[in-house]
Amino acid sequence: MAEKTGVFFCRCGSIITEKVDEDAVLTAVRDTGDVAITLQHNLLCSPDGKKWLAEQIRENNLDSVVVAACSPKQHEKTFMEVLENAGLNPFMLQMANIREQCAWMTTERESATKKAIAYIRAAIRRVRRHEPLGKKEIIANPNVLIIGAGIAGITAAQNFSRAGRKVYLVEKEPYIGGIVARFEEVYPSMECAPCMMAAMLQDVLQDKNIEVFTYSEVEKVKGFLGNFTAIIKKKAKSVTDACLGCGECFPVCPVSVPNKFDEGLSDRKAIYSPFAGALPNIPVIDREICLQFNNQDCSKCEEACPLMAIDFAQQDESVEVQVGGVVLATGSDIYDAKAIENLHYGEIPEIYTSMEFERLIASNGPTGGEITMKNGEKPKSIALIHCVGSRDPKYNDYCSGVCCLYNFKFARVISEKIPEAEIHSFYKDLCLPGKLGQNFADETLPKIGLVQFEEDIETAATGKGVKLTYKEKNGKKKKITVDMVVLSPAMVPSKDTDKLAGLFDIEIDERGFFAEDDQLLNPFTSSIEGIKVIGTAQGPKGINESVSQAAGAAGHLLSRLVPGQLLEIESKTTVIDEDLCGGCKVCISLCPYSAIDYDIEKAISVVNDVLCKGCGTCAAACPSGAAKAKHFTHEQIHAEIMEVI
Amino acid sequence: MNRFEPKIVAFLCNFCSYEGADRAGSSKLEVPPNIRSIRVMCSGRVEPEMVIEALTNGADGVLILGCHPGDCHFKEGNYKTLRRHSLLLRMLREFGIEPKRVRLDWVSASEGQKFAEVTNEMTEIVRSLGPLELTACR
Repeated sequence: MAEKTGVFFCRCGSIITEKVDEDAVLTAVRDTGDVAITLQHNLLCSPDGKKWLAEQIRENNLDSVVVAACSPKQHEKTFMEVLENAGLNPFMLQMANIREQCAWMTTERESATKKAIAYIRAAIRRVRRHEPLGKKEIIANPNVLIIGAGIAGITAAQNFSRAGRKVYLVEKEPYIGGIVARFEEVYPSMECAPCMMAAMLQDVLQDKNIEVFTYSEVEKVKGFLGNFTAIIKKKAKSVTDACLGCGECFPVCPVSVPNKFDEGLSDRKAIYSPFAGALPNIPVIDREICLQFNNQDCSKCEEACPLMAIDFAQQDESVEVQVGGVVLATGSDIYDAKAIENLHYGEIPEIYTSMEFERLIASNGPTGGEITMKNGEKPKSIALIHCVGSRDPKYNDYCSGVCCLYNFKFARVISEKIPEAEIHSFYKDLCLPGKLGQNFADETLPKIGLVQFEEDIETAATGKGVKLTYKEKNGKKKKITVDMVVLSPAMVPSKDTDKLAGLFDIEIDERGFFAEDDQLLNPFTSSIEGIKVIGTAQGPKGINESVSQAAGAAGHLLSRLVPGQLLEIESKTTVIDEDLCGGCKVCISLCPYSAIDYDIEKAISVVNDVLCKGCGTCAAACPSGAAKAKHFTHEQIHAEIMEVI
Repeated sequence: MNRFEPKIVAFLCNFCSYEGADRAGSSKLEVPPNIRSIRVMCSGRVEPEMVIEALTNGADGVLILGCHPGDCHFKEGNYKTLRRHSLLLRMLREFGIEPKRVRLDWVSASEGQKFAEVTNEMTEIVRSLGPLELTACR
């Protein structure tokens, strides 16, 4: 216990003494007989004041200090530094807040004086129970974990790699490339998407700094900027790295299911690569449907494999990684058009979503890039419907900002593949952002009939095709029959968003996307500083914006996670007394930072000093008093209670 | 006769309510001198025993103020406080202590006004209840 306490009363000019009787306070404090010295100063936080305070501490050989002045929120750090300069541990300080919470909020001088005395006495009693605490620092981990290997995640990965950082890139699908890998051409350049991506994907797979985990998910994560630990679960692919991707196993597999990559417009086998040219070029076995894993005798793929690469016994694997930052680039989905009853999507076969149509026009898609109807014929007329389930509070109130432009892309592709086809484009409002948007639309317009509609469009199957009934902007009701309809549903959060937000403990916004720290100034940082949210997982956007966000987020993290840089961490953590802990684990379930682990051998709970933030919630609940919140111990708070009342 | 001046201990969380109290002061709002604050890192740090200790040693009322639900600096400490609080109130009844003597509320760093209101209200309530007599505990 501290024995030589000095009390320093600051007049704060005359701000405090206007309400608090200095002499009465100093007399009362001296009368406690518990302090070595009691001195007053005009302005302790001034350069002279600080110098004087340090001298007094040294000259009087004090081991603890009470500063009765303003709020600790104002100057606790200032006076802790003074203590340190005077050779005293900075935690041997206690401030009595006699300005904000006494002089300034009390009307009568007598009451304010009495309250100030109580606060100073409480501070004296408390500070004598203080213990010196050390400053704690860790070296920031400069490496990163990226979840989602689409265009955003890959761009971010390349940026980190170029800076020499280790990147763990986790993708739940068996291939990398994300949604862009499913497009044939992209606006406004009408560049071939697979060609644009090919070099990027190869680079990522060959990059020594980037460790790619396909068919994998993050299972657990804890930590903070500079110090995260994550557990990645690698699902068993049942195919080893000996595989060269020859594809001999596909035709022999007897099980078929709709291929999600092609939006169910084609089938795949139980052993599959989602598309020809998928990278990495190693198939996986879908254990949910593979006969081998459903108690049936089949090993046809194993027999067909020339490289003995099939391994039915392969197990899921968990890998623990340490990183300083996390990037979530988990993409988005499209709104379920079945939710809009009038459209009869899913009932009328010739109504497609934009994603289905992307696959229909893709040369590696189910029709080899031919636009054909279910009967094999080419459509003579196609209706493109924008704003499906968007710009309407009934469904989604926002504009996705990309559908108009990809619809003009569709129009260009259709007129190239079926020059005689009529194209009707139905929109609520055109959104053509960017320096090339308007021009791209203008150059496409001669190929299409443009109709502005309001309210929902009604569709019906007739013998001649799909009949659309719609209301024009001027209120007129009209009808048209076409062979094929393409819907452009709103971009919505992917199904995993909620789960991931829970796992990473970050916020989602009212539309269900990952919430950003600041819409304008920090649009790629989540509610937690070390976790970035980029691409369409953060909100609807196109490729260029996703890539810009990825580079921005990478820059942000690179500037925060400088190799060798020290990060100061909390000193006021909780510690669990081994002898008192009964191993009830109550603290473990309460800790908001997963900072407490259970030591099975000793049968006690143990605090991870680096993860603990010192909230003390565990200490408040510990039934045996084993958990001690440093600098806010029961003894210290009890001392204060006894003096303030 | 002098009116009764209750003693009220206020546990204030460091990141919201303590700053809210400072704000009340810097806005020169009147807060009864009956309120004596004790700073804790999080309202989740407040042990029910501390409340009992205050009451059995002379306090007539106890305030616990934390961040608004969803805004806790320590993510969810205030939810733990809320859960503990309802249990504590049940226990107080057993001891014959009026539950109104112990109040949990939320005051953010910017809510100086609310801090002043809550503390004035609390002082009036405890004043009207009179001094705490702990016959059942003695």
